[in-house]
This record gives sequence, C-alpha cells and structure tokens, in this order.
Amino acid sequence: MQGNLAIEANGLVKSFDGKRAVNGIDLAVPEGSIYGILGPNGAGKTTTLRMLLGIIEPDAGRRLLLGHERPLEAAKIVGYLPEERGLYPAMATREAIAFMGALRGLPLEVGRKRAAILLEQNGLADYVDKPIKSLSKGMAQTIQLFGTIVHQPKLVVLDEPFSGLDAINQGRLEHLIRDEAAAGTTVIFSTHVIHHAERLCERVAIIARGEIRFEGLVSDARDRLRPHVRLKARNTEGPWRKMLPGDAREVAGFWQFELPKGGIEPMLKALIDGGAGIEELSIERPGLHDAFVAIAGETAAREMEASAQADLGQAA
Amino acid sequence: MMSLLEASLVIARRDFIASVFSRTFILFLIAPMILFGFAYFFGSIADAQNRVDEQPTIAVVADSATADAYRQARQRLVAGTSEQSFPILRTIQPAERIAVQAQALLADENGGYSAVLSGTIDRPVLTGPTKADGYVARRVQLLVDDARRTAALRTANAAPAAVAIERVITEQAAGNLQMNRRSLAKGGVALIFTITMLLATLLLSTLVEEKTNKVLEVLTAAVPLDAVFFGKLLAMLGISLVGLALWGGAIALGYTFIQALQDWVALPAVSPAIGWPIWLALLIIYFTTNFMLLGALFLGIGAQATTIREIQTITMPVTLLQLMVLLLAISAISGDGALVWTAYLVPFSSPLAMVAHAARYESLWPHLLALAWQAMWVVLIIRLSSRLFRRTVMKSSPTDSFFSLSFWRARPS
Repeated sequence: MQGNLAIEANGLVKSFDGKRAVNGIDLAVPEGSIYGILGPNGAGKTTTLRMLLGIIEPDAGRRLLLGHERPLEAAKIVGYLPEERGLYPAMATREAIAFMGALRGLPLEVGRKRAAILLEQNGLADYVDKPIKSLSKGMAQTIQLFGTIVHQPKLVVLDEPFSGLDAINQGRLEHLIRDEAAAGTTVIFSTHVIHHAERLCERVAIIARGEIRFEGLVSDARDRLRPHVRLKARNTEGPWRKMLPGDAREVAGFWQFELPKGGIEPMLKALIDGGAGIEELSIERPGLHDAFVAIAGETAAREMEASAQADLGQAA
Repeated sequence: MMSLLEASLVIARRDFIASVFSRTFILFLIAPMILFGFAYFFGSIADAQNRVDEQPTIAVVADSATADAYRQARQRLVAGTSEQSFPILRTIQPAERIAVQAQALLADENGGYSAVLSGTIDRPVLTGPTKADGYVARRVQLLVDDARRTAALRTANAAPAAVAIERVITEQAAGNLQMNRRSLAKGGVALIFTITMLLATLLLSTLVEEKTNKVLEVLTAAVPLDAVFFGKLLAMLGISLVGLALWGGAIALGYTFIQALQDWVALPAVSPAIGWPIWLALLIIYFTTNFMLLGALFLGIGAQATTIREIQTITMPVTLLQLMVLLLAISAISGDGALVWTAYLVPFSSPLAMVAHAARYESLWPHLLALAWQAMWVVLIIRLSSRLFRRTVMKSSPTDSFFSLSFWRARPS
C-alpha cells in the first residue's frame, strides 16, 4: 500500500464473557482516505473502533493510531462520534461543541468561536444558545458531529454516523465527510448501509461475525465479481440460444449472465450470426452490495438489510 | 495528550458549572441547615420528653408533717442541683395496712410510681424493686438525711444562715477547657461527616447523569478514565468549598451580630488547642481528604452499576459503614489506646479523628503524617475505582492481577 497509514491494526482480538466478539482483525487505513467498515449489527464493528481508540483494550493484537501505540496520546488530533450519542441535555449547543473540543485540548474560547461558525455554516445559527434538550434528535446528532470535528482533527472516527438520521441530515453528513476528506482528514466510519460506503469510500473492510472477510479498495471488492451482461433479443428461438453461456437466466424479458472470460465481442458476433436480433445490450459492473453478498454471504447480507430497515424505522 | 490535571480540570469545570447552576445546588446549600435545624428541634423536644419520662416518681405515704419535711428537703436539694436530680414526690394519705397499700401503689400503672416511701423520718421504709436501689434509694437517703438534719438543727435552734460565696472570676479552667474542646471536636467531626455525605450523594448523581446521557464514551475516548474520576471529585470539592464559603460567611455574620449583643448574650470561651486559624485550615483540609476518600469510593462503587436502583443498592452498605466510621471517630474523642489509634489509622475515619485531635492537642506534626497517609489512600482508591470501572463497565479487562504493580500503574491506553 502507498503512503502513510492513519490506522494500522494487526490481529485484534476481543472476547466478552468468554464469547469472541472480534477475532484477529487487521486494518490498514491510509492517511487522507475515507474508509468504511461494513457489517451487520453484532459483526464487531463498534468493538473494533473502540479498541482502535483505546476505549477498551484488546485481548490480543496491536494497533497504531496516527503512529501512536497508545491511542490517547493522539487524542488531540482524533475526533470520535460513538454509536450511542451522548450530550448533556442542559448544555447550550455552542457550549456542548466547545466542551467536546476542550476534551481534545482545544481552548474553550476558540471552541466557542468555531462552534458558532460551524452552526452558522450549516444554517443552525439560531440554535447557538439553545439547550440540547430543545433540539430534535437529528439536530442533536449534528451538534455532536460538530463537536467531533471542532478541534480540526487529523482522523475522524464515526460509529454508525448515518444511523437514525433522516434523508436530509444523511445528505448533510455525506457532504461534511467529503469536506473533511478534501481538507486532508482521514475519515473512518462504520455502517450497515452499503450505499453510504459505496458513495463515499475508497477503501472498505467487510466484517462478519468478528472476522474480516475483505479489506481493500472498493473497486477491488467489486472486481471480485465479473460484470453482468444484460441482453434483450427480438427473436425468442433460434440457433443463437445455444451460444448463451450456461449461467444465463431470463429475467423480465432480459437475458442476464456473467461477462464471458474472452470478452463480449466473440459472443456478440455469435449471437448476431445465430439470429438473435439484438435489441438492447448492456454490460453492468457489479455494485458493492453484490460484492458484499459474494464476500460475506447471503446470511450476512440479510442481517445488513435488517439492520438498515431498523434504522429507517428509527429515523422515521 | 493533555496532562491528567488539564483533562481533570476540563471535566471539573463542566461538572462544577452544571451543578452550581442547578436546583440541586440550592438544595445542597440549605440541606445542612434543615438537617441541623431538624436535629436541634426534635433533639430538644426529645430531650425534654426524656427528662420527664426518665424522672422517677415516688409515692410518699406519710402524715402531712412528714411529707412536708420531705418536700422542703427536696426543695433545698433541688435549689443546689437541678429539678431533674431528684425524684418527684407525691404525697398519699396512709391507709390502714401500709404494706398492702404500697403493693397496690406499685402495681398502679396510671400512678407510675418507682417506689413507695413510708414510715417516719426516723424510721423510713422504702418499698420497691431492687432496680430502684441504685438511683432512687441513694436520693431518698439524701432527702431523708436532709430532712432529719434540718429537723434536728431546728430543735436545737442552731440553723446556720446561708453564706454568700465570694467569686473570683478567671478566664479559663482546664477542666472546662477540655470539655469545651471535646464539644468542638465533636462539632467538627459532625460537620465534616454531614457535608461529605451530602456531597457524595451529589457526586453519584453526576455519574448517573453521565450514564443516562451516554456521555461517558465520549469522555473516555478523549481523556484517561482517571481524569474523569479526578475531575468529578475536583468539581464536587469546588462546589463544597463554595458552599462552605457561603455557610462560613453566614456564620461569621451571625457571630458578628451576636458579639454586638454580647451584653445580653454570653458566648462560651472555646478555643481549639491548636489555635483557631490552624484548626479552621485543618478543618478544610481534612474535609477535603475525607471527601476525596469517600467520593472516590462512591464513584468506584457507583461506576459498577448501570441503573440508579443498582447504585442505591450498592451504596447502602457503604453508607452504613460510614456511620460506623463516624461512631468510631466520635468514640475516639473520649476514648484512649487502641480505639484512638484505630480511628487515626482507618483511612475513612482518619480525617474525622484528626480534626478532633486538632481541637484537643496542640502538636502539628501528627497532621503532616496523617495527611500523607490519607493522600496515599485517595490515590489508591481513585486508581482502583477507575480500574474496576474499566473491567466491569467498559468491559475492558487488563490481564494483570489486582495484586500486581502493573494493575495500579497509570494506563493511558
């Protein structure tokens, strides 16, 4: 892998009450990247992030956070949004953001000024002195996110940041993550919603049952599957049918099959010669969801969908 | 990484502001006054009631001349002591069979007699249970003696006139001073104990707040857990010092007011052996160590629980133990030998016992030793509490043993 690593973890292991939650996880997160950890609820994502940050100690394994073996030594340049959001209800929004910055070594006065700017930039200037308890859940979550980045960290760790947010706030968060990455910040987040990772991440780790099933570029994950060909023929019968590969299936008037190893051209010629009468033809690259199913298995994919559905219910 | 102190101050500042500007703080300010007010009010009532309840009544079965002689003797004796010092006398006309009458009187629950005095001045008879022999019999003896002596002197026409004692007023008497200092020692112990208990409860409520607001993970990801614990203790200490300053101000105002009225009000001459300035400074210092010790323990225990109910259940035995510690410290004020040394050495009674020591003895060096001893325990308890917290609540168990040095070492993760 090229460049420096913001996070490097080798063989992280953690058990709770004799049950292994994380089993030998390896991660390599390049500096300045947006990195996603994908997996259903209970896969070990939160435990992994907590171990990376030093909130809990691994039973075995080693981790380096921005070059520090002891994560708290990097606390001033790390921001963390936990899965279970936590704010003091009586605190004013500006104070809450400044306090979270102060926990990371940012002087309170500077924190207050930056908090006001962040709130204004995001159309929340009216809420500067409002207590947290008066805000909606999504808004409070946004405030906590501002508290996570107010000290301008080099690394931002977000645990299920999209969970419980409505579509507008999800869009705002995606925008914010891209802005942070554009400014050179490394962003690592966990999610069970694949399309967030697909839209944002260069690299992902797919976790299922406490183990890494894939770690690398999103494009590499997708390249594990061959592209799909979708074909619509005018003629239903004819010699061309024999030219179709063995995995071809007809779905809603379209023939679908994996792109043959020799490429599309020889097959296309054979189909035309066989009298298929091609009306439509497209070659589709598999999405991350397909890659996830192929890598983690159908069961994990179903669990992911169930988690995502539960989230939608929460946001509603 | 921020230093432990810097991180603690960030936590302390937040907790301090959140607590001082809350309604709980007003309760905290007035609670001791209410507590002491109630204690004084009900204590006075109970005391007065006890005096009435505990003063025995004696039925005097005698002719009116004899009964009068006893009554006058009682008046003379009470004048020199107190009304409560002698049994109440109630005259009953003698019946034909006095022994039977005495038994009936002792059996009469409405009458409530402890004993029956019959016979004559020269041949008195006291009827009653053996329990009456101690207190009642001795006083009846005094009454009869006085009545007989007075009658004899009157017969001999030799009753001496009362003599006025010439008074020479001094500043102090060692006996009085010791008594006053013991009272001061008890007052200091009670004050520290009460405020500490109030604060420890307040401290737990902030921990519950962190748990219910789920802020704890944000804190522990940013600063060492020791800083979270230490910060909370510092905040509560700050709050208590604000409280003490307010109460101290109010007491000083009251004292000034009373001094202005000193022609009418006589203040007792009390001074701690070590001197007022040092004693007051030690009072604050020992309050600080006592609070840190108990607060750290409460935090450690409270941190093991996940709900308020669990916290209440777990802290109950500690509160009971703390009451035993209070009794130990109070007993040590009047006791000696092993009891006193136990009170000095047990970490949780040490601050209380030492503030009492400062009221009664003038040497300063024992306090330096005691403070070092208590500070060591504060550090140990905070460390142990945060380690246990990691193990149970954060489910992060260091593999080192409780008894190994590495368990106690700072672990900035």
